[in-house]
Amino acid sequence: MTCPKCQTAMNHHADKLVEPATDAERTYVDPQLGGVVKRTHTCPACGDVEFELAPPPAQP
Amino acid sequence: MTNRPLYLPVLLGTVRQGRASVHAARFVTTQLAARAGVETELIDIAQLPLRIDDAGEATKDPALSATLTRADGLVIVSPEYNHSFPGLLKHVLDGYLKEYIHKAVGVVGVSAGTFGSARGIQDLLPVLRELGLVTIFWDVNVGPVSKVFGEGGELLDAALVPRTGKFLSELIWMARTLRHGRESIPLE
Repeated sequence: MTCPKCQTAMNHHADKLVEPATDAERTYVDPQLGGVVKRTHTCPACGDVEFELAPPPAQP
Repeated sequence: MTNRPLYLPVLLGTVRQGRASVHAARFVTTQLAARAGVETELIDIAQLPLRIDDAGEATKDPALSATLTRADGLVIVSPEYNHSFPGLLKHVLDGYLKEYIHKAVGVVGVSAGTFGSARGIQDLLPVLRELGLVTIFWDVNVGPVSKVFGEGGELLDAALVPRTGKFLSELIWMARTLRHGRESIPLE
């Protein structure tokens, strides 16, 4: 992910499993994990923090 | 590795009139500001717009979000009310999530009694973990607060200085370590 504030490549350092809060988030539910995974990214240049929804696993 | 100073704000977690915790919050802010390579400020939840018409991230204050995003860690100064921490502190903490993840936190507990909010801190720790914060294992227990600070905030117990010094040293180490991890070490 690219930092929206300074365009530096961000570091993905954490995943947080949450309940989906919106219809859009429900399309990202990972049924095996039981929720939506929010990837946490931090910018090494400016320290900004951003969430990104992990795509659900491909269905067979 | 970044050369930015560490930014470690102090969150005063009570809005009560006559709160003695403000003396502890000012004291730890001053001690923290004296550390090399560290910037800090006192965030008083009594000065925040505390929305009570919704919950969680729906109540997020953009200014506090920016402050917490910039932060490399937090000091929470919390009194003990009825064997726990203040409800409004929980309300404020619950309004944010991404701002906290993999950042250091230490707790200064304040009480009128002897134990310096040991019970309030125990209640707070699982909340901090769920928010993604990383707790240090040195606390500062201020109690009985009337024997540690005078009514005007003057320090009465000199032992608080070295105890707070140990607490801050661990917090700064953890904040530096976690910043390196957040910025440089991929999860997978």
